[in-house]
Amino acid sequence: MINAVLVFNNAGQPRLTKFYTQLETSVQQRLISEIFTLVSNRPAGSCNFLPLPPLLASSGTSHTSSTTHNDTPSLVTYRHYATLYFIIISTSTESPLALIDLIQVYVEALDRLFENVCELDLIFNFETLHTTLSEMVVGGVVIETQLERVVEGVRAQGKVAKRPVNEGRSGSGLGIGMGGNFAWAGR
Amino acid sequence: MDLKATALLKLVYLEMFGHDMSWASFHVLEVMSSPKYPQKRIGYLGAVQSFRPDTEVLMLATNLLKKDLTSTSPITMSLPIITLPHIITPSLALSVLSDLLPRLTHSHPTLRKKTIVTLYRLALVYPETLRPAWPKIKERLMDENEDPSVTAAIVNVVCELGWRRPHDFLPLAPRLFELLVDSGNNWMAIKLIKLFATLTPLEPRLVKKLLPPLTSIIRTTPAMSLLYECINGIIQGGILGSSDESAGGEEIATLCVSKLRGMIMVEGDPNLKYVALLAFNKIVVTHPFLVAQQEDVIMDCLDSPDISIRLRALDLVVGMVSSENLMSIVGRLMRQLRNSRSATTEELNQRQATGVIEPTADSDDEASETAIRPDRGTEEPLLPDNYKTDVINRILEMCSSNNYGNLEDFEWYIDILIQLIRSAPILRSNSSIEDSHSMTRNGSDVSERIGDELRNVAVKVKAIRPPATKAAESVLISMYNGNSSSLTPASGALRPLSWVIGEYAEHLDTPDGALTALVHITRSSSPSDGLIIYLQALPKIFALMAGEDQLGWSPERKTMVSLLMARIIHTLEPLAMHPDLEVQERAVEFAELLKLAAEASAGQDASSDIGQDAPLLLTQAIPSLFSGQELNSVAVGAQRNVPLPSGLDLDEPINANLSNLLRAVEAAALNEPNEDDFETYYHKAPPSLPNQSQPAASRIGTAPEEIVSSYQQGGEESYLDPDIVARRRAERLERNKDDPFYIAPTESSGTSTPLHNILQSNNGPDLDLDEIPIMQLDLGKTDVAMTGQASLKRPKPKPRQRIHIAADETLGSGTSTPRNDDSENSLEGVQRLKSKGKQSLLQVDSSNIGAFSLEGDGADTGIDFERQQREEAEMAKAMREVERLRLEMQRANERIQAAQGVSLEGTVVKKKKKKAKVVDGEPTEVVKKKKPKKAPAVIDEGQVGSSITTEVVKAKKKKKKIKVLEEPTEAQDVSMDSGEQA
Repeated sequence: MINAVLVFNNAGQPRLTKFYTQLETSVQQRLISEIFTLVSNRPAGSCNFLPLPPLLASSGTSHTSSTTHNDTPSLVTYRHYATLYFIIISTSTESPLALIDLIQVYVEALDRLFENVCELDLIFNFETLHTTLSEMVVGGVVIETQLERVVEGVRAQGKVAKRPVNEGRSGSGLGIGMGGNFAWAGR
Repeated sequence: MDLKATALLKLVYLEMFGHDMSWASFHVLEVMSSPKYPQKRIGYLGAVQSFRPDTEVLMLATNLLKKDLTSTSPITMSLPIITLPHIITPSLALSVLSDLLPRLTHSHPTLRKKTIVTLYRLALVYPETLRPAWPKIKERLMDENEDPSVTAAIVNVVCELGWRRPHDFLPLAPRLFELLVDSGNNWMAIKLIKLFATLTPLEPRLVKKLLPPLTSIIRTTPAMSLLYECINGIIQGGILGSSDESAGGEEIATLCVSKLRGMIMVEGDPNLKYVALLAFNKIVVTHPFLVAQQEDVIMDCLDSPDISIRLRALDLVVGMVSSENLMSIVGRLMRQLRNSRSATTEELNQRQATGVIEPTADSDDEASETAIRPDRGTEEPLLPDNYKTDVINRILEMCSSNNYGNLEDFEWYIDILIQLIRSAPILRSNSSIEDSHSMTRNGSDVSERIGDELRNVAVKVKAIRPPATKAAESVLISMYNGNSSSLTPASGALRPLSWVIGEYAEHLDTPDGALTALVHITRSSSPSDGLIIYLQALPKIFALMAGEDQLGWSPERKTMVSLLMARIIHTLEPLAMHPDLEVQERAVEFAELLKLAAEASAGQDASSDIGQDAPLLLTQAIPSLFSGQELNSVAVGAQRNVPLPSGLDLDEPINANLSNLLRAVEAAALNEPNEDDFETYYHKAPPSLPNQSQPAASRIGTAPEEIVSSYQQGGEESYLDPDIVARRRAERLERNKDDPFYIAPTESSGTSTPLHNILQSNNGPDLDLDEIPIMQLDLGKTDVAMTGQASLKRPKPKPRQRIHIAADETLGSGTSTPRNDDSENSLEGVQRLKSKGKQSLLQVDSSNIGAFSLEGDGADTGIDFERQQREEAEMAKAMREVERLRLEMQRANERIQAAQGVSLEGTVVKKKKKKAKVVDGEPTEVVKKKKPKKAPAVIDEGQVGSSITTEVVKAKKKKKKIKVLEEPTEAQDVSMDSGEQA
């Protein structure tokens, strides 16, 4: 199952945190910063899988490959879009490649909802982020992987607010569209 | 209210940045209960993000959740459904279950699938949920007309449940198979394959059925993820493993491997490389030869710039190593380590530049070091320290695996080890001095491992002892000379190294130089666990240097020996006050011994003619202390195989009057310093060097815990100490009888003698230390047996090197290799304990559900296996049972309410039970279930469980109405039910 979904920007500021198991707020923050340290040190063109952060590795059983099926989180998958990192922490029962696709679907759904989504959208409408995520993952189990149905499900829950349009934005592609010319460096 | 909702939304945003918002839980509840949907949604979001199982308002929220679950609007209804998994507790699960179940048949597919997942999460905390819910979920799954996304959600849930309880899902296999073949949903197909991978070990017939569709998917699918999961499923399902009986298995194995090779070869997609390596890692266990064919691509991955890929490749390399490729692999890794040196410092600089907060503080002298170092290998990737530690560990693991079975050239190995010792401390120098506490765990651990490795080779391979000893010597001396600044006295490698030069002192090039270095190390501050080893090595080298009985007792020799002794005694004496008892004891023992020797040599007149002999104490007694039995490595578990002598009661104090004895010893010790001064004054050169040792207080608290286990020599010596000391004294007395110049020492002159005497005399009659059979390891037999094995493993050893690798020794039969059994068992036990005791972060506790019988039937398929498990976990289960019953009692009222909803499902389960074939079961159980009203006597299935439950039963009689509805899950339940209905 999926243990947590995290989104943070290039400076390590969280934009979305969703833990499917209850966790102390302080521990959550530590985990986020550990993962950020790992993720930000990766060279371009490396694979989308992280070694376990120390917080998880200490208690996990990463060395015993024989016990693949267990409840401990053993897989940290991430994807980098423009200014944002999307991270999924999951157990070994999930398929690593499929998780990458799942992140892709999530981002595409956001892109549909916001029309050229950028980091600002996620800040001002972070509730929509949660709604979208809950259309795809409930309680750590994936319930929907089809883009149309996710978007449909979110739209059914009310109109998605649009950011005030004050700057022209070009590029329709997802990676380019996302904060392509976004220069709002942290708060 | 609008304002409040907005405020809450902002609060939730702040919570994301780490601000605690548990104080606002009541406000969250308020907003949750708002009638407006947008506000309600914010409220539920707040609940998801901030509520914990111990949040108090959760009790208040129950009613609200139940109300919203029965709301008319589907979007309102879905709010509590998606929130429940985050806040669920057993009691909450119980109360919302009745409202949640009808949602399974809701007309809206989105609601259905969400409900299914929520029910799964409910079941994790409260397994009873599954009893009513499972038939309905199954019905959904079987329904051909069900919305495909709902089916996919069910498959997801089934997959999650599947690996916990594979037996229960075997009956579903046909339907799942159908779904796999027909559906076009890749995600679901992946899940199904994963599920099948857990099912196939239980049902071998599935393999045949699965193979064609899987092969066709592998051949045709455009989706890499599906392709990978197919291969993965084939590997995990053991389909490769069972390939002997058919050529098809072989074919699929080669197909898989070639596909995986293709994945690695794909340029520009590191993800594929990564997962392919993962898959190879799984194959290598069963088919190492197939993987070894792919050596070239895997080796390329070792040099990949991506740490994740490197680590996986490293894992893999360890698995596929053989005597042919060992040297090239290790060479490659070594090159990596060496080239990464400057990269590490560069990495530090870069990190400083980017301003990322580093957990390890950087010291200033580090920067100066960077400047000095040659700036080569800048284009090398940056290697984190723990990666390097990992690499070193893997190298050692590879070389030492199989009792050095893969190793052909031991001299090469020693060179490698020396190189590793030199490169390992780089790890230490990365961290600053003040940070050394955290680093000692990793940094010195690995250098100590390298040292241990060198020592193991020296012990096990006789042929290689001289070079090994020389290597150890050169490291020590170079450290003493300050050639390699990176080696510090605290380095863990020094301990095993100094043991080696002590034990095999006869192979030393320059014993004098080694002794000097060792003295230097001993003097400079070092933790007590290292000192123990150094102290032991000192007299060994001395014994070698002074103990040559061929040479005459010339004046030069006399001077040389007495100088040596003076130096060693000077080193030892400050340590007599060391806070660590072990250090103190050894220092005092050896110091006293050497003082005696000094006395003897001073008394013996030197002359240049051959006839004059050196004092016997030097030539015979002291060397004989350290020769004797050859030391061999002992298996981990061997100690446990030592039979306990009958009549040995470890609980009984050896001497009841211990405190008095200690006081007497103390009193005796108080007299000692004066005599020492006296002795020093007359017999020794005055100390020339100031005492460099640290203040004693700074050493307190470094307890040498692992010493006894990790250093055999240390362990045995300390164990046999009184014995040896006694023997030494006896010998000395005997010899000195003939020596007219010898004045017999008074009883109080030896520091530790009173204690040993007392111990000896007290133990003498009933416990002779020599009789404890620790030394009676059957050396000859096991040696022969194991070396025979070792040589079998290497069919064509090079004639030049006829190397005997001594195996670990054990007691008992040499064939059954109790070492493996023991160590594995104990490790497993520890691991099991650990996994029970400590849960990982983010981990979902599903231990309940694993023990829960889904079909609720004692005579179900696979129940025998479960019973076996159950008996193992009897105790834990009983505790859980009690816990559950307690909870139920607490909520007796709620339960009665819930009973109405559950009753229908109860009948469904019963129907199914009839369908299920009765294997053998317990006849009594079946009888009981068929006519529960009769309530036969409570039968003790599990003694613990039933005894506890019967206690509880009395309290629960009033609730028999509910209990009737519940199917007995296990023996305990049965007995409980019957007791109730009686």
